[in-house]
Amino acid sequence: MRELTVTVLENKKIAEEIYSLTFATEETVAVRAGQFCMIGVGEKPLRRPLAVCKAEGERITVCYRLKGEGTRKLAFDYKAGEKLSVLMPLGNGFYLDDTQKKIAIVGGGVGIFPLVAAIRQYAKSKRLYAYMGFRNRDALCMEYELERCERAVFASDDGSFGFHGNAVEAFCNDLLHEKFDAVLACGPTPMLRALKTSLKGTGIPCYVSLEERMGCGIGACLVCVCNLTDGAHARVCKDGPVFEINEVEL
Amino acid sequence: MANLSVNLCGVELKNPVIPASGTFGFGREYDELYDISVLGGVATKGLTLAPRAGNLVPRIAESRGVILNAVGLQNPGVDAFLEHDLEWLKSKTRVVANVAGSTLEDYGAICARLDGKVDFIELNISCPNVKCGGMAFGIRPDSIREVTKISKSNLKKTPLIVKLSPNVESIVMNARAAQEGGADALSLVNTFTGMAIDVERRAPIIANNTGGVSGAGIKPIAVRMVYEAAHAVSIPVVGMGGITCAEDALEFMMAGAVAVEVGTQNFTDAFACPKIIEGLNLWCEKHGVKNLSEIVNTLRLHG
Repeated sequence: MRELTVTVLENKKIAEEIYSLTFATEETVAVRAGQFCMIGVGEKPLRRPLAVCKAEGERITVCYRLKGEGTRKLAFDYKAGEKLSVLMPLGNGFYLDDTQKKIAIVGGGVGIFPLVAAIRQYAKSKRLYAYMGFRNRDALCMEYELERCERAVFASDDGSFGFHGNAVEAFCNDLLHEKFDAVLACGPTPMLRALKTSLKGTGIPCYVSLEERMGCGIGACLVCVCNLTDGAHARVCKDGPVFEINEVEL
Repeated sequence: MANLSVNLCGVELKNPVIPASGTFGFGREYDELYDISVLGGVATKGLTLAPRAGNLVPRIAESRGVILNAVGLQNPGVDAFLEHDLEWLKSKTRVVANVAGSTLEDYGAICARLDGKVDFIELNISCPNVKCGGMAFGIRPDSIREVTKISKSNLKKTPLIVKLSPNVESIVMNARAAQEGGADALSLVNTFTGMAIDVERRAPIIANNTGGVSGAGIKPIAVRMVYEAAHAVSIPVVGMGGITCAEDALEFMMAGAVAVEVGTQNFTDAFACPKIIEGLNLWCEKHGVKNLSEIVNTLRLHG
């Protein structure tokens, strides 16, 4: 974990309300898929926590949805050449062991971006099956990254392309006849709840990356907690953002 | 290098900069970024006798120049702090143990538990985010006097700082009440109670509905309150509220604060505290100030 001053290389719209920001660090930063960074945006008091989507040596890419003032400022004020202050890498990230070979990757909305990092990390060593949900055709992005997988199912809520339905429904269709060793997931809470239900009794471990409003991003302020099933709290930023789905209440 | 050390209740701090309670945990996470022994001290996460789970999420929101938080005193309890964190933190810097309770007895008991083990107790009687604690004692002078008195009677060795709420009728009356109750020092301001609304959902952003407002936007109000409190009592005052840089810290010190706490800016800039310390040194060198403590309470009021 370090604070870095980085240089924006590219900051562009890649889908409806979705931007991709690539920046250069002065030296190579080792980033694990599922880790995130806290980006300072001008005078805003809080940094924005964004999952790393691609880490290629000194080139790091994060993607984000235009949601409020902070993300709008990030999208419109930071062109190539601008400097940003970034704390990274943060959080635990995804871990798969050698026995876990056939992996389902289930994502929706902005949840697909940390999963793209997982796909890039494991594409060569694992058999990856991706199920990615988008609102509609305008929201579609990162197709070429998802196609690194042995199988990539694109789902749209409105049926405008691919599977008509959400990512979990697409995944459940395959779960009937495929045997997965593990699932990696990230997306809206209702999606993760549905996934948890669909995995009940299967014994398949599922690692989910959670999202929460954060303060410090490094584990000190106890703002971004989630409830564990044993009744304790965990810090999404430091103990997560990746948790085994049965460890956390969604 | 100027002499940045300050004396608070007979305890020397190597400089006046203390990360504020709740923004810094027990220091371990920030120590991964920089050696926290550069700090004047650390104000711990608010401690209670028993562990507390805190509020539901979301616990934080942002508005122009400020943030709102309602963590609800989540902490592992004073015994876990004593067992796992105190020795390490003491090896680094001065320890300001921030404590809260739900009853007068709680305050007495937690002070007794920490007496002689930490450098200062900071009595949190002003947490706006828990229903049964803190704030109930921090509003009216008579209850401030009472909670200070019982806390002080349980402290034989450790100086007592009473942290005041700004959500009150008279900061002067409350400052005096804390002094009358036996406080060795005051710290202020805690956060201002506020609300931020998500208009799409027609609902407050924070699960607790209201939260404590902090950050750069509250600084002028905080400086005024520190000035008023410092001039109403004879005990030292620790100033805080929206400090982002050395000049902000100097404002509080000129207004009468012996030391300062820095909270929200740690989120904006994880290196805020060491930068402020360095900035204080540069300012002193530039202005020929050999001892930073000379600038305390040197405000020149107009007319």
